[in-house]
Amino acid sequence: MSLVAPTLGSDPGDDMAASARLVTLVRRAAAVLPTTWPLETFIAVNPLAGFEDLPFEDGGLAAADIFGAAPTLDEATFRQLYATGTIDDGALRVAVRDAVGTATGTVVGSRADGMPVTLGDLVMADLLHGQVPAPGPVEAQTLAARSDRLLGTELVRSVDDEASWWVATVVGGGSGQWDTPDLHLGLYRSWRAAAGVDHRLPRAVRRLVTAAPDDPRRAVLVGLDRCADDTEAGAFLQHHLVALPGWASLLRHRGTDALVDYLALRITLERALVTAAGVLDQVTAVPAPPVSDRPGSVGSRLADALAEVGATEDDLTPEGRLLVVGALDRVPVERRRFVWLDAHERGYRSALLDGLGRTEPAPRPAPRHAAVFCIDPRSEGLRRHLESDGGIATFGFAGFFAVAMSYQDVAGGEASPQCPVLVEPRVLLGERPSDGAVEGVARDLRGRRVAAGARDGFHEAKDDLVGPYALADAGGWVAGPLAVARTLAAGTYGRVRAAAGRALVPGAATQTVPEVSLTLEEQVLLARVFLTSTGLHRAGARLVLVCGHGSTTENNPYRSSLDCGACGGHRGAPNARVAAGVLNRDEVRQALAERGIDVGDDTWFVAGEHDTATDEVRLLDQHLVPPSHRADLDDLQLRLGTAGRGLVVERAGAFPGNAPGSGRGRTVAAVRRRSVDWAQVLPEWGLAGNAAFVVAPRSLTEGVDLGRRVFLHSYDPGADSGGDALETILTAPMVVAQWINCQYYFSSVAPDVFGAGTKVVHNVTAGSAGVVAGAGGDLRIGLPWQSVAWGGQLVHEPLRLLTVVEAPLARIDAVIERNQVLRRLFGNGWVALAARGGPDDTWHERRRDGSWRTWDGTDLQEAT
Amino acid sequence: MTDTTSGTGRHGLSPMTKIEVVVRGEDVPAVEEVFGATGVRGFTGVTGVSGLGHDGYHQGRLLFNDQAVLTLLLTVVPDERADTLIDALRALFEERSGVMFVSGVGVSRPEYFR
Repeated sequence: MSLVAPTLGSDPGDDMAASARLVTLVRRAAAVLPTTWPLETFIAVNPLAGFEDLPFEDGGLAAADIFGAAPTLDEATFRQLYATGTIDDGALRVAVRDAVGTATGTVVGSRADGMPVTLGDLVMADLLHGQVPAPGPVEAQTLAARSDRLLGTELVRSVDDEASWWVATVVGGGSGQWDTPDLHLGLYRSWRAAAGVDHRLPRAVRRLVTAAPDDPRRAVLVGLDRCADDTEAGAFLQHHLVALPGWASLLRHRGTDALVDYLALRITLERALVTAAGVLDQVTAVPAPPVSDRPGSVGSRLADALAEVGATEDDLTPEGRLLVVGALDRVPVERRRFVWLDAHERGYRSALLDGLGRTEPAPRPAPRHAAVFCIDPRSEGLRRHLESDGGIATFGFAGFFAVAMSYQDVAGGEASPQCPVLVEPRVLLGERPSDGAVEGVARDLRGRRVAAGARDGFHEAKDDLVGPYALADAGGWVAGPLAVARTLAAGTYGRVRAAAGRALVPGAATQTVPEVSLTLEEQVLLARVFLTSTGLHRAGARLVLVCGHGSTTENNPYRSSLDCGACGGHRGAPNARVAAGVLNRDEVRQALAERGIDVGDDTWFVAGEHDTATDEVRLLDQHLVPPSHRADLDDLQLRLGTAGRGLVVERAGAFPGNAPGSGRGRTVAAVRRRSVDWAQVLPEWGLAGNAAFVVAPRSLTEGVDLGRRVFLHSYDPGADSGGDALETILTAPMVVAQWINCQYYFSSVAPDVFGAGTKVVHNVTAGSAGVVAGAGGDLRIGLPWQSVAWGGQLVHEPLRLLTVVEAPLARIDAVIERNQVLRRLFGNGWVALAARGGPDDTWHERRRDGSWRTWDGTDLQEAT
Repeated sequence: MTDTTSGTGRHGLSPMTKIEVVVRGEDVPAVEEVFGATGVRGFTGVTGVSGLGHDGYHQGRLLFNDQAVLTLLLTVVPDERADTLIDALRALFEERSGVMFVSGVGVSRPEYFR
């Protein structure tokens, strides 16, 4: 059905039909846009979330067709990884067997010298030596793009530049103090008003823009008048949306009307440019290009593979030839890369599973302390170091600690959602002065206002039209030397600034008061989920640390990407404080005891926050710790200090240019200096390397160095016969881990499309919604290059997430079967799953069809 | 005999069209936008509905994932606007999973729905 029929304005019924159809068309066209979040609350997400209904391979190839983005590393890189042994031969042969679905050891012929030729030999030869066709260009089908290709114009750039500038201006609410008229009219109308008198545009274009409909919906509909049907109209809109995927994906967050506004600008300007150039009929008459033939026929690949193994077609038996042709046909050229990806992943995964559960924990007395950390892979390092001297048991739980809240600190202001974006905050919680600290808090707030006023005044003066001149005169004498000090002596500058901050804001005692906003029942539920999922109440510890995390960095627009994803891209301290507060309440303990959950009378929960840039742990609300636990607190603090320094030394080796052998103290100082250095593009490696998600008791992973690559969620299979806890873990924390994994994956394999490029040329734009490279252009999405690579070398190994569960397989099946989100992720290969029932069982792999096989595949015919 | 399928004539009720859709939580905003564009005056949403669909069972309660569970949205529109809304929703469901049920109902206060 064509959009031409229902147009706006003829009668109210048609108006509605046209509006509804436009909403649907735009929604569907926008479904392919990469998922992204504004920079202030950078949430790691799968940029290809719109393709998760498809198998990973189909989704990746579909996205490649639309965006020109590779779905995996390229084949040349995989072959290099094979040559250097990163991908081992055994893993590749298993991947080949899985891909062709036939025993690869089957003999399909024999060479002239009598040596047999197997199916696996030929498919391997194709993988290792087959020709790799260059990817074809993505040919946009906008009018401007067609005109540029056919007539050599440069209209795409004109449309993209204009659209970028206006979106940045409108989203940012104007550019500083410069006057930008009519912004209140919205994107399309404010642009149209300005474009009509913009003398950079030819007069004919200005006239056409002025004559265009004032209503953005009508403007888009006019632009679709040459589309034959909805399919063509949808494709046309999609080509416009993916031209600048960053801006379009940001606008999608604001709803369909924002996208319609944006499309109206692009389509109206494009139509005016093409019409003014007198080429409208020419460019609309161009038929859509045929679907290009995939390169690499099976015949030529077979010939090449035979040549590689020193055989000819005559050497194959007729049945053998059929088998080989069938196998090559099952792995067409564009899908060979996925066989490589499987092999790459299998190597890491086999080594991981092989190492799990091998270390027999030494028998020891009940630990003095327990500590629960976020599942974030960075916690793995700290947990390992903490446990190394005994006396402390650690646990993992999603860092919002089951507190799905909006949080407002003692200063007031806008509350921030402190929970995964999968859930709506259930409650608003606040911070209050502790007893006797009202005056102190008031003094702190005055200090914060003074500091904020000075900072804002400086920045406003910089942004003002004439302010910078006065600022240079008045403050240049101090700003210049300060800038030199920040650059050349970042560590000292950081310490001085921190001391000044403490003088201004000494930090009076505050606390969260969960009982004001949460009913007792809600508090008990929170505590029960938290304790039963982890089994932490059975640790028998006197002091339990509930430890969130955040990252302290300077001059880093991406700081939110280093904070806690489970807390909506915020620091995790508020959640740790609320959780500890709830768990310390007598009423909660009593209600838990009535439900059979006994938290020892002498157990105290203390909140903390792990700074992942420095590996220092700040213990919070210490004033609430009873005298009986002061000595425990001091002991815990000492252990955290030692573990943190140990982890910093471990991490130091991963930073480029780190001088080896410079002494432990200097190494620790050098790494921590990165946190306060405003010129540092690599304050920490974040979650680079993440590749697996383990749901099991700590005994499975304790003593194993997982290299800060694994999300660790505690799980007690013996206390979850119904699978409720497992279901919660797989449908929420695992989904967040998969988003993070995909964000790192696609920022690595397609850095130009799904990554943000180098930080060195980033400029924050549109308020603080995102960054552009240099002076303008598209909003960059995904992670910056320095989050996944250094120089030209990837540091993050792009592997899809492997979820490892220790639980009965039937329980896992039951949980998956009742949740579509899990059927989709596991069934379409976005996440892999390995499991075993208990310590005495072997690891099994869940295949996409829901069947299980042993990890090494011995229950399949193995003939490689 | 009273028409019990549409409610026409029963106790003076006014006939209208009831449209129920079941979609993933993440698709609720899209349906709401279509409702808005077609002049729907109000609707009822039931989150966390469970049941068995063509692609398997759908869990109705998840502790910390509001997006993955299904939502039932129910609205009532005058018959003359029903086709517009149905066409738009069908187009939306061409590429997203979701089901729609359309039936005749009788309402006692038709002015609420016009």
